[in-house]
Amino acid sequence: MTRIKRRRRTKISLFASSFRGAHSRLTRTITQQRIRALVSAHRDRDRKKRDFRRLWITRINAVIRGMGVSYSYSRLINNLYKKQLLLNRKILAQIAISNKNCLYMISNEIIK
Amino acid sequence: MAILCASTSPIFSSSSSSERTSFASLKKTIPSNQSSFLGFFPVLALSKPSGVRTATTLSLSKRNFRVCCQDLSLVPENQRWMFEESEADGPDIWNNTWYPKAKDHVNTEKPWYVVDATDKILGRLASTIAVHIRGKNLATYTPSVDMGAFVIVVNAEKVAVSGKKRTQKLYRRHSGRPGGMKVETFNQLQQRIPERIIEHAVRGMLPKGRLGRALFNHLKVYKGPDHPHDAQKPIELPIRDKRVQKQR
Repeated sequence: MTRIKRRRRTKISLFASSFRGAHSRLTRTITQQRIRALVSAHRDRDRKKRDFRRLWITRINAVIRGMGVSYSYSRLINNLYKKQLLLNRKILAQIAISNKNCLYMISNEIIK
Repeated sequence: MAILCASTSPIFSSSSSSERTSFASLKKTIPSNQSSFLGFFPVLALSKPSGVRTATTLSLSKRNFRVCCQDLSLVPENQRWMFEESEADGPDIWNNTWYPKAKDHVNTEKPWYVVDATDKILGRLASTIAVHIRGKNLATYTPSVDMGAFVIVVNAEKVAVSGKKRTQKLYRRHSGRPGGMKVETFNQLQQRIPERIIEHAVRGMLPKGRLGRALFNHLKVYKGPDHPHDAQKPIELPIRDKRVQKQR
């Protein structure tokens, strides 16, 4: 009977209601695109953690290399571990953006 | 987002000495407490028993800690700069990674750099230029947003290469039709269109894609010693590579 099919499909099409073009209008395409969207979301939840860590590392590297000749992110992390400072890369990157002098002070402290 | 570098720089030298002593003393006492970095105990740490430190209470204390420290009377005088008022009321910078807004990458406010290519090694120069155009030397680097600066290269025909590359380095292009490959040496291209040498080098070092093509437009290469961008007041490009100058 049609009303069962329609009920199932409207639930699915609600998910895809903001998609572009045929992906929000045609029922078969809607089911396919919903599956792809959910797969992407599942995979990217793990990716998100990797991506952000990459971004923080790049940002910290950019600021630290401006500190002196041949000072780099890798040496900073080595010094952090040697001094047992538990600041993680997220916090270091946010410090680098908001308050660069603070990061320079931290790195000067741990160089010694 | 407010960047507080300017406000902290005059206090940099005076508070660094107090930072050093307090930091050294607290380093060994509570290594796992984030607030030990500040050099003194905030209000929240005094009220809680020091033995109970699970992961949840630590994250909660970090969140509450931001609001509790409005009480600036407990902060020593020389460390007040760490608790600027605007920081306590502004956006949450510790739980959200900063992402540039539209006004953070306006093209009219980006810095312009000028570099003289005379007797500079081609690849090393191109590498530094690409880093500055992409914005990878900035703390605000974002891979999806154009945060880099503009770079002007003058005296492009005088760029140097080492070894026998002048006669042996080949520049190839293909017209798309069969048998349509054209090959040129470095020398020939330098006679014909010298700007293309530096452009080719830098384009190979920028990301390939829509953003990369937009970044490439921030590179301006000129043949002689003049450039028409005096109104942008370009400053000297800081090159950190020691081997970029050709040894005579």
